[in-house]
Amino acid sequence: MSALAENNKRKKSLWLICLALIMIGFGTFLFGLAGNHPERAWQAYLVNFLLWSAIAQGGLLFSAIMHTVKARWSGPLSDLAESFTAFFPVSFGLFLILFLGKNHIFPWLHQDLHGKEVWLNVPFLFTRDCMGLLVLYGLGFAYLYHSLWLKLDRSISHGKIRKYLYKRWDRSIPDVQRCNSRMTVIGILYILAFTLILSLIGYDLVMSTDPHWYSTLFGAYTFVKAFYIGLGGLIILASILHLNPEIEFKLKPSQFHDIGKLFFAFCLVWGDFFYVQLVVIWYGNIPEETAYLIERTMTPPWNSLAWFVFIICFILPFIILLNKKIKTKPQFMSVLCTVVIMGIFLEHFLLIGPALNPHVSALPLGLTDGLIFLGFLGLISLAVMYFLNLFPELLRGETGEVK
Amino acid sequence: MATDYSVMGLFTDENQAASTIRAIKDSSWPLCRVHSPIPSHKIADALELKKSKVGYFTLAGGITGFFAGFLLAAFTAAQWNLIVSGKPVISLVPFFIVGFEFTILFAIFGNVVGLIHQMRLPEFKGLEHYDPRCSGEHFGITVSCKAGDLEKLEAFFQTQGGEVKVFAA
Amino acid sequence: MSELTFAKIDRTILDTLKPPSRIYWWTLAILFLGVLTGAACWIYQIFTGIGVGGQNNPVAWGTYLINFVFWVGIAHSGTLISAILHLLRAGWRNPIARAAETMTVFAVCIAGLFPFIHLGRVWMVYYMLPVPNQRNLWQNFQSPLMFDVVAISTYLTVSSLFWYTGMLPDLATVRDRATGLRKKIFTVISLGWTGAHEQWRHYTRGYLFFAALATPLVISVHSVVSWDFALGVVPGWHTTIFAPYFVAGAIHSGLAMVLTLMIPLRKIFHYEKIITINVLESVAKTIIFTGLIVGFAYGTEFFMAWYSQNPLEMEIFRYRPTGDYAVGFWIMVICNTTIPLLFFFKRVRTTIAWLFGISICINIGMWYERFVIIISSVSHDFIPHAWGLYSPTAIEFGIMIGTFCLFFCLFFLFVKHLPSVSMTEMKETLEQGAGHGD
Repeated sequence: MSALAENNKRKKSLWLICLALIMIGFGTFLFGLAGNHPERAWQAYLVNFLLWSAIAQGGLLFSAIMHTVKARWSGPLSDLAESFTAFFPVSFGLFLILFLGKNHIFPWLHQDLHGKEVWLNVPFLFTRDCMGLLVLYGLGFAYLYHSLWLKLDRSISHGKIRKYLYKRWDRSIPDVQRCNSRMTVIGILYILAFTLILSLIGYDLVMSTDPHWYSTLFGAYTFVKAFYIGLGGLIILASILHLNPEIEFKLKPSQFHDIGKLFFAFCLVWGDFFYVQLVVIWYGNIPEETAYLIERTMTPPWNSLAWFVFIICFILPFIILLNKKIKTKPQFMSVLCTVVIMGIFLEHFLLIGPALNPHVSALPLGLTDGLIFLGFLGLISLAVMYFLNLFPELLRGETGEVK
Repeated sequence: MATDYSVMGLFTDENQAASTIRAIKDSSWPLCRVHSPIPSHKIADALELKKSKVGYFTLAGGITGFFAGFLLAAFTAAQWNLIVSGKPVISLVPFFIVGFEFTILFAIFGNVVGLIHQMRLPEFKGLEHYDPRCSGEHFGITVSCKAGDLEKLEAFFQTQGGEVKVFAA
Repeated sequence: MSELTFAKIDRTILDTLKPPSRIYWWTLAILFLGVLTGAACWIYQIFTGIGVGGQNNPVAWGTYLINFVFWVGIAHSGTLISAILHLLRAGWRNPIARAAETMTVFAVCIAGLFPFIHLGRVWMVYYMLPVPNQRNLWQNFQSPLMFDVVAISTYLTVSSLFWYTGMLPDLATVRDRATGLRKKIFTVISLGWTGAHEQWRHYTRGYLFFAALATPLVISVHSVVSWDFALGVVPGWHTTIFAPYFVAGAIHSGLAMVLTLMIPLRKIFHYEKIITINVLESVAKTIIFTGLIVGFAYGTEFFMAWYSQNPLEMEIFRYRPTGDYAVGFWIMVICNTTIPLLFFFKRVRTTIAWLFGISICINIGMWYERFVIIISSVSHDFIPHAWGLYSPTAIEFGIMIGTFCLFFCLFFLFVKHLPSVSMTEMKETLEQGAGHGD
């Protein structure tokens, strides 16, 4: 009985830590808004919004893909990945708040766009991105709904959401076959929406910060990046839960190895998509395209950041993950994935920063950015913890069952 | 000659073969070789094989190839030594592609050299103590013994459920 | 699948190596005539000059390049099936891996012919090789064409070695059941393989490395081929999406060719229990995936052409659907993106006639995709005064027919002399199916 009390006390302290982080982040953000440089606060907000939403969206993508291809090795991991949907409503709310900072995150607001105004204007941009996120998150929730239908343990009956779900499901008898095939359809739709909506977000919120530059691969680059860090987030979550002796979630070394391999594969894909854009623009040497690249990879202060990002997001994981044993050690993998996620945070900053801070001599990166980063981290941790608390069946992990 | 006979026990069931191997390992019979038509996990587990060293050859080849590719491209560019299309004479971005392809090519060469060296192929001597059914549906386990123990060994294989074939060593 | 046994697998596949029927010889003869036609056209071109082809100013790249990219593309899905699906542990690859890998090797050979053909003065091909010479002339490795030389030669070497290594255990199986001359030949080429545990220990590790190295090779080779176009500044060519787009398109066309080859093969050799409908269905599902990627790429290119507000980009993307080559464009879009969507219906992907028909459509569509990309961009680039049209000549058609016939000729020879399904991998599938519990 005291073990349970211990557990509850630990849970409560985790909640408090998350709340504290959120308060710190929120506070720093408000403080920044009130100061002399509100654009720095909004820049940090935008970068973090993109990063953490991508982790959540990419995390659920793993589950959708595993279900669609009927993979057999990933059962408990797919279930765990569904917990990222808890961040979806938070992310949507954060996006709506982004609207308030429009003067600071859209450098094209007062530029002459030579005809692009049809596309790049605040009402149209927000409407389409809003609807896109609603579609994506809606599909994510539909997928979750069906997945829970098959999973929820009726012996647990507290909680309003649960009661509502049970009431709905008692009205119609769940047919496992039909539920699975519906999940496949919704999963495929989620995957399609993921590629389209994340491409759209990439074009609208990142690529358009320099409205005269374009790259056809940018959309795909955005969603590949999202899957890369989504996998990283999933590995961190799985490692934390696996290493905790009191939680019944446990993975086999072969499962860690497999998801480690997938992470390695997407490290390569991300690196490849980065290089593909680089080589085409470098080689063509067309000033319209190269200005963007030169500013970010060849001129100080951004060039050192670019090299740093490349090394910790590609070179380091590549060399480390060639080794098989390392992939099976959750402690090490969680550290590596944390480093990679921070690297991709810097990469988002590298893409957006020069456009929002033209002609700076030092990187506009400071303590406030770090604190806001922690705030967002607190938000997503809170959402995932809340979800896992609500639906502990996700941690039970029936291995080997074909979902 | 240390042994007079090589006796092969032939099994059609993979599980029987694996349990026979474990039985042989527990006994004093020296296990020579196990032939199988497929790379069987069960048999590999029963034999407790070490990991193959082929990978080191591959890695060596890959590293050689990476530098060879870069050096080739850099050398040829330095011979011409004029700026072409506004690109620097020695430039990382395009030469990386040459380096990458050579990495793969030489890694594969290393892999093949490793395979030939480790498997000691081509080797036609192995065909002397071999039953052609082992490439079809049979698993063949070869144990060597002296003339006096021949009947005991044959009986052992028969109790395990296998067919017996005797080769003179 | 459950009625199969090791013995039945061996028997079904080894039966295909028996002496062939009359129809086989007649078909082979016709194909060989096609090859001779192509050779004759090429010889005529060598003596007369590259001008007998339709390529000229401004369209200097014609069907020779289209076919080059087409065949390299087809080669890629063979490696996808044998290497990438091996890494992903997808069991449905086992029945078709051997034939797919063979398709790769032959397709790369055919693809490699086209730079020679396009060279015109083929005796100068040694200019591409880094050999020390009196004038200290070396290749310019900054050129995408040199990337091609390195990439295609690497791909050919690696694919051939991968193909041969994969066949080794099967060659031993044939040796053990053959007689006379065939036995002697297979004894030599199987290198004395006995299936000993030491051999398998190294073999499985080496095969894993082959697969792991062939995977990035596939991606890089077709990226390099795409950079033949993307590294230039021509509108419609200079775009960053080309590398992944070409790789996806290559796999798309290659999978369609796999279906085109497997379906008749399956019927003629009675492989129905081995290459089951489920296997073909899995190929069809993968085609949906690659088709969607190709469609995404088409859409993105059009959107970005508008977004860029660059008059050159906008013009080329107006020209493609509405200009002189519009027919090719619409064939491309419908065959590559719309028709494969039919595979979303289970009825369609489990009916042989639909599978075969759609695979032919995709082959045609993917050929036209290369046609649209290459011809339309170059015929309609920067200065209206320099615009010009292109149409292939009879010699080019002759060479094209010759190379298609050469591919099928080689494949026909293969299926009768070497086991066209991997017996070893089929048996492995059976063991995994029986022992699956962990």
